Amino acid sequence: MAPDPPRFTDEMLEDCLQALHRLESEGRPADIAALAAFARISPGDVGLVLAELERRGLVANGQPERIALTPEGERLAAGVLRRHRLSERLFADLLGMPWDRVHDEAMRLEHALSPEAEARLARLLNHPATCPHGGPIPTADGPVPPGAAERLDRVPAGRRAWIHQIVQEEASLLRYLASLGLLPGAEIHVEEVAPLGGPLLVRLGGARYALGRDVAAKILVQEERARPDAPPPARGPAGWLRGWRRRRRGGCA
Amino acid sequence: MLTNCHGALGELREGVDLSLALAGNPNVGKSSLFNRLTGMGVVTANYPGKTVEVQLAETSFADRRIGIIDLPGTYELGGVTEDQWVARQALLDGSPDAVLLVVDATNLARNLYLGLQIMDLGLPMVLALNVVDQARARGIHVDPGRLEEILGSPVVPTVATRGLGLDRLMRRAVERATTPAALPPRLRYSVDVEAAIGKLELALAGRSDRPHRLSPRAAAILLLEGDAALLAWAGAAPGGENLLALRRDLTSTLRDLRGEEPALLLARERHGLAGLIAAEVERRERPRSAAAERLWRLTTAPASGLPLLGLVLAGIFAFLFVVGDWLSTACSALWAALASPPIQAAVHAVLGDGTLGRTLLWGVDTGVNAAMAVGIPYVLTFYLLLAVLEDSGYLNAVAFLTDQVMHKMGLHGRAAIPLVAGAGCNVPAIMGTRVLGSMRERIIASTLVVLTPCSARTAVILGAVSLTAGWRAALAVYGVTFALALVSGIGLHHVLPGRGSGLVMEMFPFRRPGALAILKKTWYRFREFVVVATPIVLGGSIVLGGLYETGLLWTLAAPLRPIFEGWLGLPAVAGLTLIVAVLRKELALQLLITLAMAQYGPQASNLLTFMRPDQIFVYALVNTLYVPCVATIAILGRELGWRRALAISAFTVVLALAAGGAARAVLTGIGG
Repeated sequence: MAPDPPRFTDEMLEDCLQALHRLESEGRPADIAALAAFARISPGDVGLVLAELERRGLVANGQPERIALTPEGERLAAGVLRRHRLSERLFADLLGMPWDRVHDEAMRLEHALSPEAEARLARLLNHPATCPHGGPIPTADGPVPPGAAERLDRVPAGRRAWIHQIVQEEASLLRYLASLGLLPGAEIHVEEVAPLGGPLLVRLGGARYALGRDVAAKILVQEERARPDAPPPARGPAGWLRGWRRRRRGGCA
Repeated sequence: MLTNCHGALGELREGVDLSLALAGNPNVGKSSLFNRLTGMGVVTANYPGKTVEVQLAETSFADRRIGIIDLPGTYELGGVTEDQWVARQALLDGSPDAVLLVVDATNLARNLYLGLQIMDLGLPMVLALNVVDQARARGIHVDPGRLEEILGSPVVPTVATRGLGLDRLMRRAVERATTPAALPPRLRYSVDVEAAIGKLELALAGRSDRPHRLSPRAAAILLLEGDAALLAWAGAAPGGENLLALRRDLTSTLRDLRGEEPALLLARERHGLAGLIAAEVERRERPRSAAAERLWRLTTAPASGLPLLGLVLAGIFAFLFVVGDWLSTACSALWAALASPPIQAAVHAVLGDGTLGRTLLWGVDTGVNAAMAVGIPYVLTFYLLLAVLEDSGYLNAVAFLTDQVMHKMGLHGRAAIPLVAGAGCNVPAIMGTRVLGSMRERIIASTLVVLTPCSARTAVILGAVSLTAGWRAALAVYGVTFALALVSGIGLHHVLPGRGSGLVMEMFPFRRPGALAILKKTWYRFREFVVVATPIVLGGSIVLGGLYETGLLWTLAAPLRPIFEGWLGLPAVAGLTLIVAVLRKELALQLLITLAMAQYGPQASNLLTFMRPDQIFVYALVNTLYVPCVATIAILGRELGWRRALAISAFTVVLALAAGGAARAVLTGIGG
C-alpha cells in the first residue's frame, strides 16, 4: 500500500489526519507549520504525508492552506481522535497516570487499538463523553456532529450541550467564564430558561450558574441529540442512572 | 474605618508573629470562618479607587499573635474583575506566612481551581474543607487524607458556622506557617505548557528583581498568563524586553500547538487537574434528601418564583415600615424623654437662650435625634434583613428573576437588591451598588436608588397627600415616580457610553445562615453608615439652624421664589421647606406646618387651609424626586466621585422641577 517506505509511517498519516480534523473543527487554517506542530512530524515531511493522504482519497486538495478532509478522511480522523481520547481516559482514570503525561501515551496507543479493543475500552470506561482535558470524544459512528454549533440562548431547558466556542469579542468575559470552568469542550446542562428573554440556569459539574441571555448568546454549543451512545438522562430511571454514573466518573470539566 | 490597603497590610505584619491570608470562592463560608476566628477589632481596608474591601484582624492562638487577612471571595486570582484584582494584590502585598484556603466540600472540583493558583504562586497553603456536613447530607464523601497527600498541604474538615474543626485548622495552619516544610509536590501541567513555563522560569531565575519576591516558576506562570502587573514590570525592568520577546514566542508556539491563548490553556488545564483530583478523593452516593434542592428549584422556576418574590418583597417592605416605624417612634420618644431635656438644659446653661444656643441645639438635639430616627430603625433593620437574604442564598434567586427588567436599563439582576434597599434608606442602598461590576452600572443603579422613595419621603407622601387628597393621589405620586425612574434608567442606558456586562452569577442552594455571621455583617455595615452619615446630618443641622435662627434663610431663598411660586405654583412657605428638606426629607412636612402656623396662625396645622390638594400633590412629588438629602449626596460623592454625585443630584433637581411643573399644568388644567 505504501510505495515510499522510509519517509512516513501509518502513524504519521493518522497523526496528520487527526491534526487536520482538529484544525478544521476549530476553524483554524491548516498550514504546514500548524500541521507539523500538531502531528509532531517535521515540516519537511508534511508535504509528502499530505500527498499520500490525497492519493488515498482522504484529503480533497493536497495544497496547504486549502486542505480539506474528504468524508472518508473525516470518518477515519474521527476514529483516530476517538481512540486517542479514549486512551487518555484509560491512562488517567484506570491507570492513574499523571494528567500531563496521558497525551503522549495516548499518541502511541491510538494507532494500536483494534476496533474491538476500542469498543471494549469504551464500554469499560462507561462511554465517557470527554477526554481528561475536556475535549469531546467522537462517537463510534463518526465525528461529533460538526458545525451544528448553536447559540446557548436558543437551547431549550432540559438539554445537555457541549460548549463549542465562546465568541471572542470580549477577552475579559472569556477569562471570567474560563475561571468558572465554562470552557470549550465543557459539558453543561440547561436546567431553566426564564421566560421573556430572562436568564438561563445552567449546571456545570457540581455548580450552577445564572447566565444572562446576552452572555449566553456569546456561547456557541453543540447539543447532544446526535449522540447515539449517550441517551439523554431524561429517558427514564435507567437513563438517569447512566447519566449520573457518568457525571460521577467524569471528573474533568 | 476605611484604611489604605498598602499601609494597613504593612501595619498588620509588623504587629503580629504570624500572618495568614483567608482565601476562597464566594459563598463557601469564608466570612463565617473569619468571624469565628477573629473578635470585633476588624479593620476594613481598600486600595485607592477600588471598592472591594480587604478585612484585617488580629487573633491569638497558642501564645502567638496572628494577623488574618480576609481576601474578597473570588473564583480566581486574575485581574478581570475588581474582586479578583484585589484578592491577588492583597495576597502578594500581604506576603502571608500561609494561605488558609476555604473550599466547599460539596463542589470540590471548582473550588480547587483557586487552590492550584495559590500553589502556582508558591505560597504555603492549608485547606479548610468546609461544610462537610452539607456534603455528607448530599452523599458526597471527601477523603481529607488523600487530598492532603495529593496537594502536599494540610487538609482539615470544618463546619465554620458551628465552629467545628477550627482549632485543628489553626494548629495545622500555625504549624505550616512556622515549620519550613518540604516543598509540596509540584502538580504539573501538560508537556507543552510545562515546556513554556520552564523556558520562562530559566530566564527569570537569574534575576533578583522579581516583583513580590515571587519564585521563578510563579513569576513565569503569571507572565505566561499575561498578568498585567508582571507585564508592566517586565516592560520597565532592565533587560525586560528579552523576557517579553520570549513570552511572545512561547505564546505563539502554544497557540500553534494547542489553539488557545496561554491564559485559557492554563485555565483549562487547572480545571482539568482540579477535576481529576476531586474525582480521586471524592466518593459520591445517592443524596439522602432532595427536599432542599426541590425547594430551591421552586424559587427560580418563574411560575412559582415570581409570586414568591412578590411575597418576599412585600414582606421586606412591611417589615421595614411596621418594625422600622415602630422603632423610629420609640427612638424619638426615648430621645425626647431621656436625652433631649438634659442636652437642652446643658446648652441653655452654657450659652443661654440666644441664637447661638438655639443653633447648637439644631445639631446636637434635633440633628442627633434625626440620625437616630432614621439610622437605627430603618438602616439597621434593613441591614439585618439584607444579611439574612444574602446568607440564605435567596438573593441569587431575586437576581435571577429580575434580570430581564434590569437588563432594559443596562443593569442585571444583582441590581435588584440595592433598589429594594433604597425604599428603606438611600444611603445603604447606594453602598449596596458595589455588587455591580462596572462604574456605568453603578451610576445607573445609584440614579435609580436616588429616585426610589425612601422611608422619609414616604412619610411626606402619606402625611401630606394621603391625608388631604386621598390615597389615590398618594398612589399616583408613587406611580409617577416609578415611571420616571424606569424612563430615566432606560434613558441613561442609551445615553451613557459602554454597555451592560450581562449576568454571570453562581447560584447557590439554600443554606441556613449563621446567626453570628449575620449579626457581625449587620454591625460592620451599620457602623460604616453611622461613620459616613452622622457627621453630615449633624453639621447640616447646625448650618441650617444658624440660617433659620438668624433669619438668613428667608433672604437666601428669595431668588428662588419665581421657581417655587411662579413655576410650581406653591406658597412661598412651601417652597422654602423644599429647600430645607435636603437635610432630611421628612423635615419638609414638619417645617411646613411649623412655618405656616407662624405665618398664618394656628389653623394652618391643617394644610388645606393654605394649600389646594393639587398644590400638595406637586409639593410631595417634587419633594420625592429631587436629590434625597445631604447624606445621600455625600455617599454618592464617596462611592462614585463628586462630579458624578453632582451630576446625579442636578439631574434629579431638573427632573423634579420638570415633573412638578408638568403636574401643576395638568392638574390646574383639569381643575379649571
